[in-house]
Amino acid sequence: MESKITATGLELLIDQALYSEDVVFKCFYWYSGTFNVEIEQSLPSQIRVIVKPKKEQAFEPEILLEQISKDLIDFKLRDIVTKETTTIRELIIAKAFAYADFEQNPTTEVSDPVGFDPTLIQ
Amino acid sequence: MLLHTRGISHLIEAPVVGPVTRAATSSERGQILVAEDGVPYDIDLSSFKAILTSVSDPVDFPSVHSVKSLDHLSEGDLLAIHSDGTINTLYRPASRHNFLLFTERCNSNCLMCSQPPRNRNDIEYLYWIYRSLIPQIPKDCFELGITGGEPTLMGNLFFSLLEELKSELPDTELHCLTNGRSFAWHNVADKLGRMRYERLMLGIPLYSDYYQQHDYIVQAKNAFHQTMQGLYNLAAYDQRIEIRIVLHQQTIPRLTRLAKFIYRNLPFVEHVAFMGLEHQGYTPHNIDKLWIDPVEYMAELSEAVNYLSDYGMRVSIYNSQLCLMPEDLWQFNKKSISDWKNIYLDTCSSCTRIDNCGGLFASAVTRHSKHLKAFE
Amino acid sequence: MFELKEKQSRKFKDQQFYDAVPDSATYCLLPFRFHRINQDKEVLVNEVGDFLLVAKGTAARIINRVLSKNADETLYADLIAGFFITEHVIPPMLDVIAARYRTRKSFLDYFTALHIFVITLRCEHTCHYCQVSRVTENKHAFDMRRAHIDAGIDLMMHSPNPHVTMEFQGGEALLAFDNIVYAVERTKREAGRHNKQVSFVICTNLAPLTDDMVAYCKDNRILISTSIDGPDYVHNQNRHRPEKNSYEVAVQGIEKCKEALGIDRVSALLTTTTLSLKFPHEIVDEYFKLGFRNIFLRPISPYGFATHNHTKNKYNTDLFLNFYKEALNKIIDYNLKGEYFREDYATIILKKMLTPFPVGYVDLQSPAGMINSVIVFNYDGKVYASDEARMLAEMHDDTFMLGELCVHSYDEIFYGDKAVQLSEAWLNESLPGCSECAFQSYCGSDPVLNHATQGNMFGHRPTSVFCQKNMEIIRHLFQLMDSDRRIEKIFRTWTRN
Repeated sequence: MESKITATGLELLIDQALYSEDVVFKCFYWYSGTFNVEIEQSLPSQIRVIVKPKKEQAFEPEILLEQISKDLIDFKLRDIVTKETTTIRELIIAKAFAYADFEQNPTTEVSDPVGFDPTLIQ
Repeated sequence: MLLHTRGISHLIEAPVVGPVTRAATSSERGQILVAEDGVPYDIDLSSFKAILTSVSDPVDFPSVHSVKSLDHLSEGDLLAIHSDGTINTLYRPASRHNFLLFTERCNSNCLMCSQPPRNRNDIEYLYWIYRSLIPQIPKDCFELGITGGEPTLMGNLFFSLLEELKSELPDTELHCLTNGRSFAWHNVADKLGRMRYERLMLGIPLYSDYYQQHDYIVQAKNAFHQTMQGLYNLAAYDQRIEIRIVLHQQTIPRLTRLAKFIYRNLPFVEHVAFMGLEHQGYTPHNIDKLWIDPVEYMAELSEAVNYLSDYGMRVSIYNSQLCLMPEDLWQFNKKSISDWKNIYLDTCSSCTRIDNCGGLFASAVTRHSKHLKAFE
Repeated sequence: MFELKEKQSRKFKDQQFYDAVPDSATYCLLPFRFHRINQDKEVLVNEVGDFLLVAKGTAARIINRVLSKNADETLYADLIAGFFITEHVIPPMLDVIAARYRTRKSFLDYFTALHIFVITLRCEHTCHYCQVSRVTENKHAFDMRRAHIDAGIDLMMHSPNPHVTMEFQGGEALLAFDNIVYAVERTKREAGRHNKQVSFVICTNLAPLTDDMVAYCKDNRILISTSIDGPDYVHNQNRHRPEKNSYEVAVQGIEKCKEALGIDRVSALLTTTTLSLKFPHEIVDEYFKLGFRNIFLRPISPYGFATHNHTKNKYNTDLFLNFYKEALNKIIDYNLKGEYFREDYATIILKKMLTPFPVGYVDLQSPAGMINSVIVFNYDGKVYASDEARMLAEMHDDTFMLGELCVHSYDEIFYGDKAVQLSEAWLNESLPGCSECAFQSYCGSDPVLNHATQGNMFGHRPTSVFCQKNMEIIRHLFQLMDSDRRIEKIFRTWTRN
């Protein structure tokens, strides 16, 4: 991540291969209370983010940069979980609230050496 | 306390099930006459089902002779006499610890199993014995246990016996020990649910919150997931459930986590029982993996028990001795050991709390805590 | 019948044999969220609200697949057993997870329970923070008309909930006691016809309380909800009344009600003002002295805020949080000394953290309490989605008015366009900032507050007082439990009842 400190704020150039658009937006959402944040596409796979402290806010660029680096990593982790678990989340909610019971029997063995078969119980 | 004996059988082709009497002139039909010193000449035997004697002369009647000892048999005890001369006591009216062993087959193989399973298919044989026994059990029987092996392996016959118990003994509390795995199949849980058997409680073991450890302890793959699914299926039908945990080296490390798991995922269970180890069956063979002096796990036990109790769950501690337990656990301690295998050691004879203490298993003579001592 | 070779099938195997994926070093993630609690610890929360307090950096290790089944055996087992990771694409315990999820949301099962009837706007107090106009004369303009009472009761009977609560508020509700009696009597008849159970509550400052009123409450098992802001010097400053004795009158009333109705039929609420914030310990002591064994440290009313001034709002919230933590410490002190004394706001959150059971509290649930759990019938016949929505209307903002009694039907009010609009914003699972928040399961959403302080129903989390306050309280509760095992045990006793 390239960064530049200006008189009014911090400018960052973020490689989208490392931090996707989703991650960047979710991360900088939390800065939009105390900072004015501008996000734009700079190169095809690069995002430019300009962070300017709102008036009356102290500006400590080194500390801010450190915090942003940590937060980008955290939001990337969260994004990985969100993307990887989309299907299972939908499955959980579908099963939780479905009116019909999808009654599935185990696909595993009941492991009785003498050959008990639970499906024969009527 | 003897529950089995044998002699030489005569004229017994199929199992005979009936109540003991020593009254040779009894007019009740269907009893088993116990005549240690032989049968008097002029008695009419036709009303009896069989005769048991200790003498070596056979009687010209279905009987077992040359039985070494018949002292353990009391009036009204219900016996099964087999064609090979074995005599099993199935029910004792004087005891509160009667149980029906539905089968010796099991689909698990717990490291600490006190009744090691056998792969003989004994189900039909035992089914007919119990069909014969159940109507003869006194109607005022307070509670009855069902054990095994794994009773549900009886399949449809399991339900048939439950129906029999429900109709013959409507006022008797039933406590069935099962690994719960069969109930992972919806048809099985459904069948039990439709019975609406309110006096039935299922005692189901869960030894860890981590599937790998539970499966290892019960020595069966997929056991944990099947048991959990079974528990949920049973809960969907409002079945009464007790969770049982045996305390040993393998279960102690994650004991509190198991308690939390039970509260969060199985809050519907009626009772949780933490049980001391019985030095019987497979346990001596696996003792190195199992033994831990109870005194060493009291901190974990206290944490687990109090956690569940704080949330309002009913908890008991079985098979433990008061002198080994911190005082805050005494209220949970129950006298649980079946009378026929319950002993106290010599150390205990002077103990002031002996009446409240459950004592030990008979098998504990060979292995027990180093810290047992009498209260003054 | 057949026999197998016993020895072969029953040989004991070691633990590795029971590993479902022995050749695999990797696992699948289950949905979970994380948040730093302090310098050393972070909390992981799964989809059903169970949490795990772990060392900082653990979430990263899990998600980056740096976790080792062997080297991190205990943690690995905790994560599998706790539904954070799974060894199969479809978790074997999916049905258990789904049932747990359904259980957590089952406070929604029966829809609206609380029906607030603002029976009159008249009041003889002049509390400086009160949005309600203080009207003492002209009762006909400011009392709820009987036709509206009837219509409100009809809508209440229409609720799918077999058990509803009818709560009388004001102004000062007891000033319209004759109307309360009318409403209660009519409701009892209707409840019988509709096979509904009804609980009654009267919110009152107790000044107009008479013996006849107490007797009526006793006969109908009516709960009394009153206000005690703290010791007299706090309470009387907050709540002006001509005789300057609001506190004395309230305490007298509480004693009378305790004696006649029992301590469990009388509850007291706190309204925190800037003055209250100076006296956390004294307020807690006052409640204990009056015989209460619980206190509800409600967050400062947002409508006391200069709306839309983010800096001022944040500052006031910071002050409140300091007050809250001080008061909570005092309460925990009582418990450590062996006295049971519960803080109700923390208890709501703790129930969600520590138990698997559904927790419905109108101001802290997702979907929000408005309509789903509560509805407000105003003295003028207008219907509002929540109490705060009504307060907003008093400030001439009718955004959250759903309809009118005697004009609109049940469906038009509860399922109308307004309701649909609100439903877009009342689920924190889908709000920006909340959707990946670790505290999502313990928190809620408040579209009315968002609209009042930020100009739109969805709100802006970084500048939201609701978010600021709840995140800090939740983080603080985790911190307390982590710091002292005794506090966790105390919190457990609070969640039981």
